Amino acid sequence: MLGLFKKDKNNLLILKTPIKGKVIDIEDVPDAVFSQKMVGDGIAIEPIEGKVVSPVDGEILHIMDTKHAIGLKSINGVEILIHIGVDTVEMNGEGFEIHVSEGDKVKAGQLLIAFDLEKVNKKAKSSITPIVITNTDEIKSIEKSNGQDEEWIMKITV
Amino acid sequence: MLEKKITIQNETGIHARPASLIVKEAQKYQSGISIVKAGKEYNCKSIMSVMSMGAKKNDEILLKVDGDDEENAFAALINILENNLDT
Repeated sequence: MLGLFKKDKNNLLILKTPIKGKVIDIEDVPDAVFSQKMVGDGIAIEPIEGKVVSPVDGEILHIMDTKHAIGLKSINGVEILIHIGVDTVEMNGEGFEIHVSEGDKVKAGQLLIAFDLEKVNKKAKSSITPIVITNTDEIKSIEKSNGQDEEWIMKITV
Repeated sequence: MLEKKITIQNETGIHARPASLIVKEAQKYQSGISIVKAGKEYNCKSIMSVMSMGAKKNDEILLKVDGDDEENAFAALINILENNLDT
């Protein structure tokens, strides 16, 4: 009977915290594209440090030319977009430093992007960073962190 | 199958917001909808795919629509790509 409550390891993906900061509801991101979940479902973080690390073991799918957003795919097929700040596209890459390339295999905790948090706070509308699952139609459920445990932000069942 | 070449006009290219508009519209239709840029084809029903195209201002793309409701889908996607990427 216990087996019924055990989650199959391969079907559960734990997203480790990619940026240090305060966890915020996706509905509270000051950009309708994210708050209305047009890009996908997830959470957001208000950063206290300008460092983004990979939340999963996986592959880099895409890095925006303007360096403020990165797309990854976990080894079990979950697609994750990390979008640093709101309206950061207008900063045109200034203050962002990319540490990986498209197609790279990455490990959870590996540095992806370093950014100048002060500059983002000054120049962009907000530094609040949405982290969303973009292929939500291919997963079963998302458990979101309430911020109590700083190690993880989402648990995805695929 | 319907096809049209389109030049991206909006200043910031196809980033998260324009990409989500394209995908939201494309998902309303049964037809297969894709964009070809520099020889690579991207699925308009996948946000990650559309964003990974990395289309910038003045880039030329080819819109391809194929399926039962292709005429309506084609008109709707052209309208977004040519006029409404910034809204």
